[in-house]
Amino acid sequence: MLKSIGILLIAATILWIEVPPLLEKKLKKELLVFAILLAIGVGISMTLGFGKSIPNPLDLLTFVFKPLNDVISLLLK
Amino acid sequence: MMQDVKINSYQFLILVIFFTVGTSILTVPSALAADAKQDAWIAAIIGTGIGLLVIWLFITIALWFPHLTYIQINEKVFGKWVGKTFSVLFVLMSFLYTSQLLYYRGSYLNIHALPSTPMVVLNILMVGIVVMGVRLGLETIARSAEILIVVFFVLLLILVVFISPEIKFENIQPVFEMGTKKIVQSSLFYFITSSVNAVILLMIFPSFINKMKQVKKSFLIGNLIGGIVIIIITFLSVAVLGPENTARQSYPSYELAKRINVGDFVQRIEGLMAALWIIALYFKTVLYFYASVLGMAQILNLKDYRPLTFPLGMIAVVLSLVVYPNVIYQQNWDSTTGNSLSLSIGLFSPLLLVVVYAIRKKQLKKET
Repeated sequence: MLKSIGILLIAATILWIEVPPLLEKKLKKELLVFAILLAIGVGISMTLGFGKSIPNPLDLLTFVFKPLNDVISLLLK
Repeated sequence: MMQDVKINSYQFLILVIFFTVGTSILTVPSALAADAKQDAWIAAIIGTGIGLLVIWLFITIALWFPHLTYIQINEKVFGKWVGKTFSVLFVLMSFLYTSQLLYYRGSYLNIHALPSTPMVVLNILMVGIVVMGVRLGLETIARSAEILIVVFFVLLLILVVFISPEIKFENIQPVFEMGTKKIVQSSLFYFITSSVNAVILLMIFPSFINKMKQVKKSFLIGNLIGGIVIIIITFLSVAVLGPENTARQSYPSYELAKRINVGDFVQRIEGLMAALWIIALYFKTVLYFYASVLGMAQILNLKDYRPLTFPLGMIAVVLSLVVYPNVIYQQNWDSTTGNSLSLSIGLFSPLLLVVVYAIRKKQLKKET
């Protein structure tokens, strides 16, 4: 619980720093991207904070690069 | 707002040195010594040589389009959508490496200096200054690098001078026992970490540099100086610790600093030496993060990259806790998939770019 409050506090601080200048300059696209990224950030840190595991992106990469890995290790033998 | 940043070629040289030395100074000696044994230092020399060729390729590409970053070059050469795909992969790679470097530094501090501090705290502190640096802009990063390079080389000099009495030449004999093939193969990991990954420097080279003429040289010289630092460190680790011991350590250069003992008086200065690695790692992390943030902003055609820094920093912290479950996984991944990833994005995609550029040369010239 404490962790999630901390994460929300950090997110609130980021919003407080970042949003007013964006609204002032009327940069709508930037605001949208910022909001999406912040939502992802809060989402995954909450998931991790509650002790759930997040799928590791490196495992996906290992799966994708398996053929190239094999070629390289063949060349290195 | 994004294009008015300019750094001079000397500052760029320093950034290249920091980028080349960055993680290599911590991990490369053991990776080299694992395969090339006592000839690890020869492998480092060969790796630097191959690395310079790769850098020359990057310079050639960059000088065709002196006012564009790598993302924009991709878009121009490959066309809008294919170019964007390549750029997205590029940005994802540099962002992933940002979080990996955070893990490196976090686990290094966790193992050697601050064992009871949770890694997440160390990573948040690091991300704090990384985000701060990127928000202040490239000029600020370059100027602080200009100051800290002095500290870096003074510490390196102290390390080299104080450890030199411990060198045992029996450790590097017999020279060239492993044969040329093995030595060249083992240099693969080294030139990938310090030269192939330098593709992310194409985000600041040459579009953010004011004097075009000397800058070509400074990229090569920076990589060479960084390479020499790595060669020295590898040579010292092998000569002082011995090849087997070097291969077994996860941070051989730190072990090197622990061995310093001048007249039973100057001892235990490894804490001071840790500053060396923290400085180099910091700048490498900042460059990766800068490349990913700026790259993302340019892919999405944003006017300013600063709003993206805080959320991406937050994601980077979470990723840094997730990417490597443990050190075994890290070493295994780095020596297999890490190489493939860097090679495909840092070497194969630029080579593809060269081929496509050669075919579309006339058409591209007409457009401009």
